[in-house]
Amino acid sequence: MREVLLTALRLSVDLADRTVLDGIALAASAGEVVAVVGANGAGKTTLLRACAGLLPEATGDLALGGIDPRQTAPATLATLRAYAPQHPTSAWDYTLAELGSLAASPEAFHHWRARFGLGALEARRLSELSGGERKLAHLCLTFSALGDAYGKVLLLDEPTTALDLCRAELVARAVRANAQAGAAVLVATHDLAWARTCDRVLVLSEGRLVAAGPPDTALTAELVRATWGGA
Amino acid sequence: MKRPVGTLVLAALLLALLALAALACGGAGLGWGTNGELLMLRLPRVLAALAAGLALGLGGANQQGVFRNPLADPGLTGVFGGALLGIALLLAGATEFTWQHRWALPTAAFAGALATSAALVWLGRGRSTSKLLLTGLGLNAFTAAGTLLIAARFPEARDILVNGAAGDWLGAATLELAGLPILGCVVAALCLLTQASALDRMALGEDMAFCLGTDVAQTRRTGVLLTALAAAAAVCLVGQVAFIGLLAPHLARALVGPRHRAMLPLAGVLGAGLLLLADTLGRSLWTQTPVSAAAMTALLGAPAFVWIAARRHA
Repeated sequence: MREVLLTALRLSVDLADRTVLDGIALAASAGEVVAVVGANGAGKTTLLRACAGLLPEATGDLALGGIDPRQTAPATLATLRAYAPQHPTSAWDYTLAELGSLAASPEAFHHWRARFGLGALEARRLSELSGGERKLAHLCLTFSALGDAYGKVLLLDEPTTALDLCRAELVARAVRANAQAGAAVLVATHDLAWARTCDRVLVLSEGRLVAAGPPDTALTAELVRATWGGA
Repeated sequence: MKRPVGTLVLAALLLALLALAALACGGAGLGWGTNGELLMLRLPRVLAALAAGLALGLGGANQQGVFRNPLADPGLTGVFGGALLGIALLLAGATEFTWQHRWALPTAAFAGALATSAALVWLGRGRSTSKLLLTGLGLNAFTAAGTLLIAARFPEARDILVNGAAGDWLGAATLELAGLPILGCVVAALCLLTQASALDRMALGEDMAFCLGTDVAQTRRTGVLLTALAAAAAVCLVGQVAFIGLLAPHLARALVGPRHRAMLPLAGVLGAGLLLLADTLGRSLWTQTPVSAAAMTALLGAPAFVWIAARRHA
């Protein structure tokens, strides 16, 4: 039996006067890549942010590496999970070398930068990178935050959006490599082809979990039609 | 590659030369006087300008870092205005008491600055940084109006408040009066330097900073407190002066890059240099009718700022 690293039970989030997440139950174990799919506004980002400990107002049970992220100091939390926002930003125009110096482990940042094909761009500023390269640079920060991936939780919000096919494949492989090293990965994506290669899929619709399980059983043609509409 | 240490040492050397020049220049003539009496006359003013500029440069850099906005400046977001309003309220309510107790004025300034600094963060909660800045501009206008209202209603406080609003208090600096505010500036500056790595990560957004292990709420609270301390101490010395908090961090970033460990100390040194230069020029070029440090700062700072804004990467 593999170690369960992330569990949520009856997880709900109300933002303003709207229920964004409604009674979500989930579990993710070491070595597992779990895809979170759903239409725009289904609650994917809120689910990931709640799991990361970014929403103290979330109600229900939540455990990350055995502790409640809502009750944990940021420095401790940073050793248990890493998070990549959907739209990474930087107020200042760091060079890639400067960005790397903000990482938990600059050496790991360097490693991921080389792996994502940004190895030669050390002196390049963020504003001088393409949109996809910028996204990859920020992903390097997330991946390098984990250090040793074993027993950690990786929360990625649409990491392959804005990436070309080749770069998206690099990221998918990096995600798989982290899982093989012992991390539990929760990845929100609109790429259903990628979701089908994950170990399990959670389908969200209007804040509720409408299907969960291995891709073949969770992503049925019927459900895809019901969730995304169209033919 | 940029050399932060070399740039900082060079800037500090230039600042030392500027301070010597400032001690030797003035309306009473060049030099330090036969028995150093001109030196003793100018020393408090020079020390006050150096300390206030240091606090302003670092305070501006911190506010820009916390709000992730290059246009934040305690002089524009109402924190200075709050400090001045605090002083105005004290003068209006207890003039005698104020002049009997050396700590009264700085304390009132700190209370006013802390109130506006906290109001800024509270009113701007969960808003975009541009809305936060608009909130600051509103607070600034409100506190300025309050100060002018008090100046108009209380004739005994009028001159001093009008001079304060014009940033023209440096001339009145004596070692006795300036001691406590100078200490406040230095303490605030030293504490602000410790925020470097938190501010670096704040640039990536509050979510990402939190996830990298930075206590975002704590960083914000510390920023509110230290910016208020820096602003209050500086206002006690100079009065209302904008632009230093805006310009010094920009110049520092352009010279050594945006990493705060390199940029914060340089912003402090540049802030001190800019304010001292502005004050020295203002009182040396027109000896009969000296121009206030705030006016000279804007005169020098505004064109430089437009030039920086026109470039990228700043």
